[in-house]
Amino acid sequence: MKPVLIEVSNLQKSYFSEGVETPILHDLTFSITEGEFVAIMGPSGSGKSTLLHILGFLDRHTTGEYRFKGKSIDDYSKDEVARVRNEMMGFVFQAFNLLPRISVLENVKLPLLYSRVAEREWNRRAEEAIRAVGLAHRFQFDAVRLSGGEKQRVAIARALVNSPSVIFADEPTGNLDSRSGVAVMDILQALNEERGHTIILITHEAYMAEHAERVIHILDGRIDKDEKVMKRIRK
Amino acid sequence: MALALRHTLVTSLNALATHKSRSALTILGIVIGITAIIVVTSVGETAEDIIVGELGGLGADTIVVRPGKEPKGPTDIAEVLLSDSLKQRELAALMKKSNVPHLADAAPEVLVTGSVSYGGETFRPVILGFTADFMVKTLKLRVASGVAFDERDIATRAPVAIIGSRVALELFGGEDPVGKNIDIKGRKFRVVGVFEKRGQVVFFDIDELVLVPYTTAQAFLVGTKHFNQIVVRAESPGLVDRTVFDIQQTLRALHDIDDPTKDDFSVQTQQGLVSQVRTIIGVFTIFLSFTVAIALIVGGIGIMNIMLVSVTERTREIGLRKALGATDRDIMRQFLVEAVFLTAIGGIIGVVLGFIISVAVSFFLSRSIGLPWEFHFSLSASLLGIIISSIVGLVFGIYPAYKASRRSPIEALRYE
Repeated sequence: MKPVLIEVSNLQKSYFSEGVETPILHDLTFSITEGEFVAIMGPSGSGKSTLLHILGFLDRHTTGEYRFKGKSIDDYSKDEVARVRNEMMGFVFQAFNLLPRISVLENVKLPLLYSRVAEREWNRRAEEAIRAVGLAHRFQFDAVRLSGGEKQRVAIARALVNSPSVIFADEPTGNLDSRSGVAVMDILQALNEERGHTIILITHEAYMAEHAERVIHILDGRIDKDEKVMKRIRK
Repeated sequence: MALALRHTLVTSLNALATHKSRSALTILGIVIGITAIIVVTSVGETAEDIIVGELGGLGADTIVVRPGKEPKGPTDIAEVLLSDSLKQRELAALMKKSNVPHLADAAPEVLVTGSVSYGGETFRPVILGFTADFMVKTLKLRVASGVAFDERDIATRAPVAIIGSRVALELFGGEDPVGKNIDIKGRKFRVVGVFEKRGQVVFFDIDELVLVPYTTAQAFLVGTKHFNQIVVRAESPGLVDRTVFDIQQTLRALHDIDDPTKDDFSVQTQQGLVSQVRTIIGVFTIFLSFTVAIALIVGGIGIMNIMLVSVTERTREIGLRKALGATDRDIMRQFLVEAVFLTAIGGIIGVVLGFIISVAVSFFLSRSIGLPWEFHFSLSASLLGIIISSIVGLVFGIYPAYKASRRSPIEALRYE
């Protein structure tokens, strides 16, 4: 049995605006073990992005408990939160979020800048991550000159560079054509299957979720279904 | 750390390059401020150098005794010009070894206004009644052709003159002036010598000088018995203070003055004059620097403004960096480096611009007062300019950097 990475119990999240409480997530309880590939699926407005932000230490829940690697998020200091994001989490966004005027290599090195990894290691690590997503021929390209699919692969390399425990991917194919989308999903799946990275994918498309082993369906801020994927796409 | 700093600089440079004209306009305030600092200090120092250099030409052992009380304001100047407290009697008293033991030499000065002519040519030179010997020695002048007039000529009020090279050229053209008679205010003077070409020395141009014995000038050209000033040389620079004291005692005794504030003469040394000039220029420089400081504050506010805009525009980048593990401190440092970088560039441009303007100003300044061109560029002022501009960036960058560091990371994800 693999250790539990993420443990959520009775998690609730509300936004407050001018004293009015708007609940987003209600009473969520689930756990994710290391090495799992989980898709969180739901229509827009279901609260799945908010959930990802909380899981990724980018936002805080209102009540309930969230334990990451056995430690409650409330026990992490501000700097520790930054450190966890840096060393244990990788993020892949729908909008890629690369810095446009610097090279692919520099973009991938970005997380190392804030890490404890020795500087002499940076280039080697970044190059390795870029190779892993199949872009070795693009090291010195400026990020703006890449196609959408390539950009997202660079973003994945950036997420990989610190060998995180978990990669959060928020609609990673949302801005891509279907072919590039499939390529990106194949990479994520390979990272999970071949390298054992835990991957949490947010999507609203059922066929994307089929790359995962497990799908948590969110509807109106509640878990609707939590099921194993029967016909997982084989690479 | 070094690579991290380089990354920050590259990012900053990119951010600045994206908005070239905006960046340029933003740093304009800093550029103007630093340019002004460089120009003010550089021109100030050049002016000081010129003036002090000129005064220094007289020599540190030189003492000037002027009639009338020490001028403290514009109304006193008239008194100096009109006062007749220095005459032959005073000169004789000063020359006495028992009164002023360390006096090496002394010569009275009589200023004459008027023009000189020879044949059909007329010229308006500086006409000075003085002793040739003192003049030649103090200014280390050479009489290029002919001879200098001497003690005997002074004693006999001889109508002789030594003329400057420009005067010779204007009146005689190519002819040799020595032995010829020139006309000064209707009187005939024989030219005995011509000074070497020398140009501007201590506030007047040797080349445009006509030097006559002071006795002759008093008797035939101005018709008064007093001197405009007496120039004294002490035996050595170290004896100047002592000699000043002796001069004051001698003249006070001669004029029955008990209260030094009632002195009807003033004694000035070169050191005194130099330090006076330095003080005046110093005060002027401080005043201008204060004005410049205001320009820099205004420039700094411009920087702050544009950095705030930049923080808003780059919300997404800030959020991304935080998601990748940047702490608040990391973000703050990045924006501070950027602000300092921006203002330091402004400072460097300002120094270069200031250098160019200073060269031009000092060139025209020395041209317009007819002095040899001298230029003083202060390295310390340049360094100070760049440091000050960086400090402006640091101070006015803190608030925007703080704002940036407080941005929430989820904004990066929300952003479409």
